[in-house]
Amino acid sequence: MTTQMTTRANGQLSASFRDPSGFLFSRNGIIYRQINRAYAEDYARLMDSGLYEKLVKAGLLIPHVETGQAPAEGEAAFKVIQPERVPFISYPYEWSFSQLKDAALATLSIQKRALKLGMSLKDASAYNIQFLRGKAALIDTLSFETYKEGGPWTAYRQFCQHFLAPLALMSYRDARLSQLLRVFIDGVPLDLASLLLPFKTKLNFGLLTHIHIHAGSQKRFADKTVGPRKGMMNQHAMTGLIESLESTIKKLSWTPAGTEWGAYYEATNYSDLAFEHKKQLVREWTADKKPNLVWDLGGNMGVFSREAAASGAYTVSFDIDPAAVEQNYRIVKKEKEENLLPLVLDLTNPSPSIGWDHAERDSLGQRGPADMALALAVIHHLAISNNVPLPQLAQFFASRAKYLVIEFVPKIDSQVKRLLSSRRDIFPDYTREGFEAAFSERFEIRKAEPVQDSERMLYLMETR
Amino acid sequence: MHFSPLPYLDPGSGSLIIQILIAVLLGLGVAFRASWGKIKGWFGIKPKADDDADDDAS
Repeated sequence: MTTQMTTRANGQLSASFRDPSGFLFSRNGIIYRQINRAYAEDYARLMDSGLYEKLVKAGLLIPHVETGQAPAEGEAAFKVIQPERVPFISYPYEWSFSQLKDAALATLSIQKRALKLGMSLKDASAYNIQFLRGKAALIDTLSFETYKEGGPWTAYRQFCQHFLAPLALMSYRDARLSQLLRVFIDGVPLDLASLLLPFKTKLNFGLLTHIHIHAGSQKRFADKTVGPRKGMMNQHAMTGLIESLESTIKKLSWTPAGTEWGAYYEATNYSDLAFEHKKQLVREWTADKKPNLVWDLGGNMGVFSREAAASGAYTVSFDIDPAAVEQNYRIVKKEKEENLLPLVLDLTNPSPSIGWDHAERDSLGQRGPADMALALAVIHHLAISNNVPLPQLAQFFASRAKYLVIEFVPKIDSQVKRLLSSRRDIFPDYTREGFEAAFSERFEIRKAEPVQDSERMLYLMETR
Repeated sequence: MHFSPLPYLDPGSGSLIIQILIAVLLGLGVAFRASWGKIKGWFGIKPKADDDADDDAS
C-alpha cells in the first residue's frame, strides 16, 4: 500500500467501511487497522487458538503487529494493528485465470483450517485476497468469526459470486469474462452466470448445484425470510460443502490458445541481438536508478519485467492479453518469484475507480505513481492503432512514474508498417524527432540508445 | 430461530436453503467416509495422511 489510496478525513480508507469489526486507516503513509471492541472476542480467539500463527506460517494470511498507535475513532476502538505492507493492491478483474483460481483455493484452504480451530470466514470477498510474495493471501485480519456448531457458512453466496461463477465462465466460455467483475462489484450474479454457462455445465455436479440450482433457489426464495434451523449443518455437512467447492474449482482449467500475443516472442521482427541488447539496457538502467516499484506497461510474458525485478524492484507486469498474463503468472509460480506481479490491463482503458462513492476500488492512476515505468514496444500500438497524439502519451506516462524507459518504434519498422498497411497514415508527427519533441515537454531525456541490429531507439527519461 | 449474532452480510434466503440441502447431502458422503475409515482401521488399514492440515493453496 504504497501511495495515495482514497481516504476519508480521519484517514479511514474508503474501501474499508462495510464490516463493523474495524477498518483500515492511513497515518503518515503507513496503513493501520483499527479493531473495534465489537470484534475483541473473535480477535482474541484468532490469536489464541493458534489459527493466526498457522495461517501466517502457510503464507495464507497477512502478518501484523499490534501497535500503540492512537485509534482513528477512539470510542469504538479495541486495538490498532499494523499489517505488513502490500507492495501493490490488485483487483480480481486484473487477475488471470490461475490467479483467481489460486485466490479461491486459498480462501477455501483458510476456511478449512479455521473450522478445525472453531472459527469460520464471515466473508469470502475476492478483494480480501492479495498477492504477497507471489502467493494469494488473505489481507483482512478481521474476516474470522467464532463458528457455532450447526451454523451455515454465511459467506457461501459471496464465495460463489466472487470466485466460482467467474472461474466457471472463464473456463467454459471465455477468459475475457473476468471483466464482468469490473461491472458487478459483489461478484457475478448467479442467475447471469447460469444463463451464460453452456448446458454441459449442468452435467458437472459442482456447477449444477453451486451455480445452476443455487441461482434457481435464490429466485424462488427471493422475497422470503428464512431462519435456518440450528443443527442442520453438522460438521460432516460443512466439510462436505467446502470439499465440494474445492474439488469443483480444482477441476476448472484454462489453457491459453489461439491468441494474438501468446507466441509473441517467437514472432517478433527483431533479432536475438536486439532482444538481448534491450534486456541489457533495462537491466543497467534499473540497477542505476534503483526504483522500489516498477510498472511494466505492456509487459507480455514478463521478459523485461524480470530484468527490472532483478534490480530488487517490486515489478508489476501489465498486459492486455489474458493469455500472456496467465503464462507470466505460471512462471512466477514455477520459479517462486516474490517480487513480480502479472496483471491484465488495457492501457487504452485502464482500471477505473469503482464502487460506493467511486472510491471502493482505486483506479490505476490512484495506485501510482510508480518509481519507474517501462513502455517497451508499446508506443506504436497507442499512437497508431489507438490514435493517441504523442503529447497526450507523454502526459500519460509522466503521471504514471518518475522515470520512464520507453522504446520508440519508427515507421520503417515492419511492425509499424503492418499497422499502417490497412489504413491511411494520418500521423505526420510520428517520427523520432516528433517523438523526442513531444516527450521533452514532460521529460528530461537522460539516455537515448539505438537498439543494436534494429531500427528502434530506447530512452531513459525523467519527469520534469 | 436465527443464530445470534446475525452476520453483517446477508447470506440470502435462497443461498442459505440450497447451501443446507447441498451440505447435508454431501455430509452423508463425508460421514460414510469417516465410518468406512474406522471399519478399515479395525482391519489394520491406516487412513491416508490428512492433507488438509497443511495443504498448500498455491
